[in-house]
Amino acid sequence: MEKRLLEIKDLHVSYGTVQALWGVSLHVPEGSIVALVGANGAGKSTLLKTVSGMNRPQKGNILFCGKDLTGLDPEEVVNAGIALVPEGRRLFARLTVKENLELGAYTPRARPFVQESMRQVYELFPLLQTRSKQISGSLSGGEQQMLAIARSMMSKPTILMLDEPSLGLSPLIVKMMFELVEELNRKGMTILLVEQNIFQALKISHYAYVIKTGKIVLEGPGEELLSDPEVQNAYLGALE
Amino acid sequence: MFDYLNFNLLAQLFINGILFGTMYGLAAIGLSLIFGTMRIIFLSQGAVIILMAYFCYWLFTLFKIDPYLSIPIIGLAAVVLGAGLYQGLFRRAVKMEDKNITLLIAVGLMFLLENLMAVMWTPNPRSISTGYTSSSIPVGGLAISFTRLIGFVMAMLSTAGVTIFLKRTLVGKAVRAASEDIEAARLVGISPHWVNTIAFAIGIGLCGIAGIALSTTYPFDPYFGFIFSLKAMIALALGGLGSVFGALLGGIILGTLESWSSFFISGGWADAVGYGAFLLVLLFKPEGILVRSVKKV
Repeated sequence: MEKRLLEIKDLHVSYGTVQALWGVSLHVPEGSIVALVGANGAGKSTLLKTVSGMNRPQKGNILFCGKDLTGLDPEEVVNAGIALVPEGRRLFARLTVKENLELGAYTPRARPFVQESMRQVYELFPLLQTRSKQISGSLSGGEQQMLAIARSMMSKPTILMLDEPSLGLSPLIVKMMFELVEELNRKGMTILLVEQNIFQALKISHYAYVIKTGKIVLEGPGEELLSDPEVQNAYLGALE
Repeated sequence: MFDYLNFNLLAQLFINGILFGTMYGLAAIGLSLIFGTMRIIFLSQGAVIILMAYFCYWLFTLFKIDPYLSIPIIGLAAVVLGAGLYQGLFRRAVKMEDKNITLLIAVGLMFLLENLMAVMWTPNPRSISTGYTSSSIPVGGLAISFTRLIGFVMAMLSTAGVTIFLKRTLVGKAVRAASEDIEAARLVGISPHWVNTIAFAIGIGLCGIAGIALSTTYPFDPYFGFIFSLKAMIALALGGLGSVFGALLGGIILGTLESWSSFFISGGWADAVGYGAFLLVLLFKPEGILVRSVKKV
């Protein structure tokens, strides 16, 4: 029986007078990759920001391991075990790679394990170790995305939320990034992935939701949605 | 007509400029930390420095505590005051979208402090006179004022201390991270109130050091603080935001400029040259003359 690690119920979010989410419900089972796909401005990032505490919902609940996280501050959410790799990476560009990683383990939850986590992260990304003294702003786009993921892994998350990890990267690096997400998942990480690269996201995800103007319009196993004629027409038209 | 010029005189002016400039620099570091983390233009910085100078004056005249022995007392009091100012005055306002509110609080605090000091100590200039106030150390034909030299050393040591704190400790790194991107900092678990409190505590702590240095070297009155804040802002513009040593260097450059211009042109022109330099820097290199320009990717 699958365990619902993260459950979002009837979430309504507005920016001022503009409503971005209209009653979104979804859930992420433990150990799976769940993708949330949709066009630009559909409300994907808003959802992740709301889960991580950066936005306050007008209505609805966010349950994590059965506990209600609605209304917590971002620093409390990450300490509870939900890490967000924000859109655009948002590294501390003037700090070194190592300092970025150290700060990734800032929460009381992760701080005692900082050395151990650092070793694991360096094992996963040997490149970051060789660059550890470098200013993170000087890394290439792909390296920065790796560091952003590594930084959030330092917080010892139970679930990792990735906001557009493929944004602005070259096709080869994009491929690597999706392989990395799969590898993290094989190692036991639960992942909620937001992507505009719908084809790739659906391919690796166990379950996926399609969001359109703030509402979930379609859901199903990734492979199933890939062959869904509606999805193909609306989002994957250029592929065939 | 310039026959009175010689190397010694120029060097003496230079040294005086440096020694006074470090005080601008100390104020600028505090401004830079507070602005960096909270985007607050803390205009009352100078008034707090004067308050600390009065505190030092008080300890000296009432309790006969030597100004240099009062460093730990004033330093600690300033750090606590800084944390208190954040928690009491800025904690709520800093979250608001409208940054004018924090600026207004800072200006209000400045007027409050100025008038409070005028009531408590009268608007007449005060100064501390100890046995060593007028003594100087001869170095290669130059006379270096003892109190100014100690002020300079205190400034250098506290700047080094702040730099080490920001570079080496986890909290210091968190302060730097928060100055860069507060949202990303919160996402890794850094509480904004904690880093803001730290930034304020350090910024005001440096006011304590600057206050002691000022009170032992120059006469001061309650209204001197505003000019001091403005000078610190010029120093910051010269040195560039975001670098502790840059801010100190900016202060030293401004002090030197003022010292030379007040001698070569006239005392009244010192400020004009300082503000002129400020305008020129803002026009041609707004990121600061000591900052290597980096394009943001």
